[in-house]
Amino acid sequence: MINFANLKINLTQEEQDILHGKQGQTMQKIMETLVLYGEALNAEKLVEIEGNGHLVICWPIPGISPPMQMLDEFVDCGLRTRFPFTLDPEAPLDFENLHLKGWQEQVLREIYKDQEQYEQKMLQLGLRDKFAFTCNPYLPEVGNAPERGTVLAWSESACVIFANSVLGARTNRNGAIIDLLSNIAGKTPLTGLLTDEGRRATWLIQVATSKLPFPSLLGAAIGQKVLAGVPFIVGLDRYLGPRLQGYTIDYLHEMGAACATFGAVGLYHVENITPEARDYGRGLLAEGYETFLIDDQTIRELQASYPVLWADKRAKPKKCLIGCPHLSLRQIYWWVHQIKDALVSKGKNQLSVPTIIFSARQVIEKFRENSEAHEQLKRAGVTFSATCPLALFDKDISADDAIVTNSNKLRAYSTARFFTDEELIEIIVTGEIEG
Amino acid sequence: MRFKGRAILAGTIKGEALVTHSGFNTLASFYSCICSQTTEAICSDSGNRELYGRNMTDKIICLPKTIGSTSGGALWQRIADMGIAPKAMLFSEQIDSIAAGGLIVADIWMKRRIYTIDRLGNEFLRYVKNGDIIKIEEDGTVVIL
Repeated sequence: MINFANLKINLTQEEQDILHGKQGQTMQKIMETLVLYGEALNAEKLVEIEGNGHLVICWPIPGISPPMQMLDEFVDCGLRTRFPFTLDPEAPLDFENLHLKGWQEQVLREIYKDQEQYEQKMLQLGLRDKFAFTCNPYLPEVGNAPERGTVLAWSESACVIFANSVLGARTNRNGAIIDLLSNIAGKTPLTGLLTDEGRRATWLIQVATSKLPFPSLLGAAIGQKVLAGVPFIVGLDRYLGPRLQGYTIDYLHEMGAACATFGAVGLYHVENITPEARDYGRGLLAEGYETFLIDDQTIRELQASYPVLWADKRAKPKKCLIGCPHLSLRQIYWWVHQIKDALVSKGKNQLSVPTIIFSARQVIEKFRENSEAHEQLKRAGVTFSATCPLALFDKDISADDAIVTNSNKLRAYSTARFFTDEELIEIIVTGEIEG
Repeated sequence: MRFKGRAILAGTIKGEALVTHSGFNTLASFYSCICSQTTEAICSDSGNRELYGRNMTDKIICLPKTIGSTSGGALWQRIADMGIAPKAMLFSEQIDSIAAGGLIVADIWMKRRIYTIDRLGNEFLRYVKNGDIIKIEEDGTVVIL
């Protein structure tokens, strides 16, 4: 049993009352969990959440989301998150876009058989609306973009790191289930990335490459090195410029997702670019910070170290997945132009590798409004999906498929083979992998 | 050899060490076993050369921190419920938020305790080896027998 009397965390009278059961057993368990969580993380106290949530728990898969009984308990008690929330991507049930075999679709139908029921419960618990599913919720088309300084309890590692670093909001890296409990209680521990001290940089990362590194390779190199540290990255503004807009936002989104996949990084600063780095500069570096230099060799060796996990290592690619994390509208247009130019240069009309682009439903709908561009990609063999490419690897259903991707995050959690954008364009147009 | 850490989920047990010196990616390590409903937790993280392919069930995992997806938070209650969890998690560093939340949720909501001690220090991780028999005490003391 846990002795709450010995804890160091300071609790308000209301929190103590909840802990003693004055708001019922379920709220008591929620508060017990948050108090112990705060104590483990050395929090001084719990603080109020100030804005909309974003949670990773998008599918009713045991081990990925809360068990259905837990959700039933919350719904039965009339509990709801203090602010609305968005969720990670939709379930992979839009089969017309996914190029799957019949047996693969059957497996997915079985895995996601409770999805509708689960979404109903999520709506009852505070899901913003029935289309609020994406891992890129701060896109203008989706609209969950917290203001700088807002205290949050977000999960989804790619979203946490973006909200902290690029938007300047304040959230720790909350895990699945704790995210929901925090947002129901409306409280989160004051510790780590919620504090000025916790946002100071413990690493100075010098990017000394001869060109802008591929974002998810740079992110992986940083994440592996700093683990849970806060990197202050210098040298990127040479290539990205000082303005936090357009391509820079997409670049930082992809870099951050990889940083968080290969480490436990929840915040980075980029000199002259991200909000806190612009305001405080190298003054953000904590005493005794460590230094790491990344050059062309670091990036080259990292990519070369990735094993080929295909059953047939010399297979020709059968499918290409782009959009982990979900693409912005700007990125979709970038692919439109790249694919078009590559096809023209090879004298072809169609890609040799069927390609799926993943993005938020709202972004895909916006893109479809441009019927010419949409038709162009459709004719080339590209489909769009608002689900998550990782879901196509559930129960190893794609283990025997030779899948290529430009996502280092997807590679980390699947058998997909990773290539940079430049390499990938060549592969999907020709159907061949060089070397 | 004795090491003293902070007991987060306390208890007294004995078990066999399984050691990783790099970050433990919870989702990548357990994803395959929860997808395939296995009866043992064989590590599926191909990025972790020390643990990949090893059986983690009933072991005492010795690690610096966990890393990776925040989905990892929900895995602990599931693997505990499936009966394939490690016996204990011994962190050389301060526990990270994903592991702390997940292990505490498993304890409070599933009544399944995975004994957890953190801040054991770098020397602990340098000393402990795979297969060592470890005794854990209520106050966060770890004895390598």
